Amino acid sequence: MTTRQGMDLVTMNIIENTMITVCREMGITLMKTSYSTIFNEALDFTCGIASPTGEMLAVAEFCPAQIGGMPLLIRSCLEEIPLSDIDPGDIIVHNDPYRGGLHTPEHTLFCPVYIGDELVAFTVAIGHVAEVGGMVPGGFPSEATEIFHEGIRVPPVKIKKRGEDVPEVWKMWLANVRTPRYNYGDMRAMIAGVEQGSQRLAEVIKKYGLDTFKRTCRDLMDYAEARMRAEIADIPDGRYDFVDYMDNDGVSDSEIRIEAHCYVGGDRIVVDFTGSSPQVAGPINATLGVAWSATYNAILHLTDPSIPKNSGCFRPIKVLAPRGSVVNVDFPAPEVGGNTEAHPRIAGAVIGALAQADPARGMAAEGGTHLNFVFGGQDEKNDEYFACYDIEVVGWGARPFADGNNATDSINGNCRVIPTEVFETRYPWLTEQYSLREDSGGSGQFRGGLGTSKTWRCLDTEITCTQLTDRHDHQAWGLEGGGPGAAGQTLYQASDGAAWQTMVDAFNKRSTSKWSNVVIKPGERIQLLTPGGGGWGNPADREPEQVAADLADELISETAATRDYGFRGEDK
Amino acid sequence: MRFAESGYYIEQYVKCDNCGVLIYRDEKLSTDPAQTGLVFCTEWCIDWHQQKLAGKDVPTVAGEFDH
Repeated sequence: MTTRQGMDLVTMNIIENTMITVCREMGITLMKTSYSTIFNEALDFTCGIASPTGEMLAVAEFCPAQIGGMPLLIRSCLEEIPLSDIDPGDIIVHNDPYRGGLHTPEHTLFCPVYIGDELVAFTVAIGHVAEVGGMVPGGFPSEATEIFHEGIRVPPVKIKKRGEDVPEVWKMWLANVRTPRYNYGDMRAMIAGVEQGSQRLAEVIKKYGLDTFKRTCRDLMDYAEARMRAEIADIPDGRYDFVDYMDNDGVSDSEIRIEAHCYVGGDRIVVDFTGSSPQVAGPINATLGVAWSATYNAILHLTDPSIPKNSGCFRPIKVLAPRGSVVNVDFPAPEVGGNTEAHPRIAGAVIGALAQADPARGMAAEGGTHLNFVFGGQDEKNDEYFACYDIEVVGWGARPFADGNNATDSINGNCRVIPTEVFETRYPWLTEQYSLREDSGGSGQFRGGLGTSKTWRCLDTEITCTQLTDRHDHQAWGLEGGGPGAAGQTLYQASDGAAWQTMVDAFNKRSTSKWSNVVIKPGERIQLLTPGGGGWGNPADREPEQVAADLADELISETAATRDYGFRGEDK
Repeated sequence: MRFAESGYYIEQYVKCDNCGVLIYRDEKLSTDPAQTGLVFCTEWCIDWHQQKLAGKDVPTVAGEFDH
């Protein structure tokens, strides 16, 4: 079937889905061959295919933060390593947040795909490496005040040349991390993913012919662009504004403002973050890549999910992120939390603004944090240092047609929780309790999703712990009369079973949500209470049967049922 | 972006004063007609910036963005 514009839709569909399958296979290879739980359990990575000019052609359904950030990453990399300097068998690695990257742990690998002598594409893997050196084990130094506290920065360099390792790069990198064996294994897994993808894509191109492949990629991006333009054209023209806040930056008490102004004109949209706070001293600043990614992420959430995810669908969207602000940090400020904490707040502000234009597309705020509980210590049994990045899940915002999802990773992650059995096998914690958190979802005609409650006890090894989270003060907002979700909490209990305390009370830290290098000893406990999502609509309009069901499932308490919904005992 | 003569490190991070994108090459750098010393990545960004300076609350979303 050929369209009026000459697009062969059948071939386009086949090649697009084949490319997505290649990306999925890259991800499965990465998952199955990696060493760290952040890859093989949490799936904090993304695999994609890019054109030689840096346009994203296809991507698998992994981590949205990395999907939206890919175009800027590729472009920045190619500015420093021109195509003429790239040879078959090369692998380029890059993690520099100040060269288009997202945050220090996020490592991007590029592998060229050649047909004959012509470089026709790149396969790309972006993965969150759990240990990158710096102030704390696990890569989230929540009390950092400069980029150098956050670990090693790797500008675009070749880690393999013509199929051979570049030992100097490997040695330089692995000398700067606490867990070199794990980092080595995880980097090998990423390399395996992009190399396998390169082979597979070459087979696909040879099957259909290079000319057909190139024409189809152009058509595919034009098609995605046309689909996105049609969606934006359905949004009434005008300016829509929204503001959300982060609690603090870990080194001062001031709240941080994220301000989004969405200008819709015809089939295009400009998202301007002017008015957002100037960059802050602590590590919750976002890089430009994060601002782009969060904006794209929000708009993809509000539009038809069947639009192909490639650079074409981003063409009608322009992001204005003032330099030196919390949405586009200038060197050398710290930024590691921008990709996890500022991203959800930026995406939420865009969603909140556009929900005014078209309430049917909107969603109340989600928990908006990955909890970012990181830890490390010396494993005496194996005489080896361990480090872990643990992601926890939150409640999502309610929509105009449904309750929010319970216990789901924040909007930019799409990651999984490490299974308790794996967690307890690999690290010296015992999970004593893990449940949905009753009453944490915001009230509403449609209720916000529930966060979780988890309690760990330290077993036989001292563990150095750090956390960089948010929404301990500023709760997830509701829409159209819906209530806010519950705020998060992190609590500590001494081994004698004394009362639970915040990290401010127990360890004299500045922030309850952002604290670094607390040593937890055997017998001591940590409890993580994750934020709930906001509700949608007037709680009085919720069907009594739904309230009764929530009560029976222990998602809400009798107190909340009465207070928020006017529920009476006889309604049971 | 201004790199050291050796090419081994960055001396100055150059960003567009409207959209904030990194500007790597001089030929991409548009000069502000008002001679304010600001730098822009495209004519589109100059136009948008001038509309905002003129106090236009809702600037016209015209032209291609040329990311």
